[in-house]
Amino acid sequence: MKVPIDLQGDVAEVLVSEDQIQAKVLELGARISADYAGRQLTLVSVLKGSLPFMADLMRSITVPVRIDLMEVSSYGGSSTESSGLVRILKDLSASIADEHVLLVEDIIDTGLTLNYLVRYLRGKSPASLRICTLLDKPARRLVEIPVDYTGFTIDDRFVVGYGLDFGEFYRNLRYVGVLRPEVYSTPPVADAGPAVEPGPPGDPVAAAETGA
Amino acid sequence: MDQRDDAPDAQRSTDAGPAFAHVSEAEFARILDYYQVRWEYEPHTFPILWNMSGDLLESFSPDFFLPELDLYVELTTLRQKLVRKKNRKLRRLRELYPELRIKLFYARDFRALMLKYGRLELAEELSGTAGHVTPSRSAASMLAGPFGADRIAAAAVQADLASAALAPALDPLEHPAPVHHRRRRRGAARSATAAERARAGA
Repeated sequence: MKVPIDLQGDVAEVLVSEDQIQAKVLELGARISADYAGRQLTLVSVLKGSLPFMADLMRSITVPVRIDLMEVSSYGGSSTESSGLVRILKDLSASIADEHVLLVEDIIDTGLTLNYLVRYLRGKSPASLRICTLLDKPARRLVEIPVDYTGFTIDDRFVVGYGLDFGEFYRNLRYVGVLRPEVYSTPPVADAGPAVEPGPPGDPVAAAETGA
Repeated sequence: MDQRDDAPDAQRSTDAGPAFAHVSEAEFARILDYYQVRWEYEPHTFPILWNMSGDLLESFSPDFFLPELDLYVELTTLRQKLVRKKNRKLRRLRELYPELRIKLFYARDFRALMLKYGRLELAEELSGTAGHVTPSRSAASMLAGPFGADRIAAAAVQADLASAALAPALDPLEHPAPVHHRRRRRGAARSATAAERARAGA
């Protein structure tokens, strides 16, 4: 039986609060601005999860930036059966040759998608390519890729919010929360339950910050 | 939309791939294929236990080797009792071959991976089960792997004391007579070389 989504109630705990996210975004923005001082930067966001992070991060960077968006298929999606290979669903809209590129991710866990993207982007001959992620889940790492800017290192828990989804929902939460296990035993549906204003459902639980 | 021409080359391995011992291994191989990570299935076997006479009692063959990452991956979605045995083997492997990079995927890790990719039903199906699709694969080849005879001999010396202590308690089902490796993957040059060494020394 499908269970209706309860945007706040489905979250067991807040892992990274809205305030923590915003403070970290400012910190990362300052670091990136200092590192790229005197240069211009291309931010490449990986849809869909990194959109909120990208939107906030770009406004905290003080050097000239342009933005671009990419989307790649995910294993287990409808595209899996058609080709069995990861595909670029949305490519860059402009060349990044000789540009300084910062790849903006919402979360890195296995590193499989990131590994593919890095290889792909390096083939576009950027002047430099660095990686920025809001969340890092190293316990799940298969492919070790150096990450230049990390917001929070988190334990191996299923998180949603601030762009991260389960079944395409929960992205509009303002914080990063841990999804209740009973929620992902059944697929979410959107056609039931009251509309809920996104926001923290209580005192946030501090996540481990790397300060990287 | 078709694969872009300038996307990284695919390394499809499952089309003509090996007979996997467990459905989770087949699923893992499909994931690696999907993300174009080259893999080999059980290409190397590492001796980990000998008796006082120097006879090989036990080996360990990690499920996957990812050559571009120089990483071995062992999957286990088995019952806890069997996980303990596998943990013991893994400890021995790490003691004897500390330079190996190996990652053990427990049932919870595999479940999380399946959840990430929306394949929770498979994880639930496998959770706490043997899940084998072929007979036990604890039997291993006599010798293999990227390590030379000197290294193996040195490891054997280290293992003698341990084997003397452990041998009485060994489960015969876990320590069958050595058999030839049965699922070597393509491009396993290191394994082939080691196997040749083994045959020459046999």
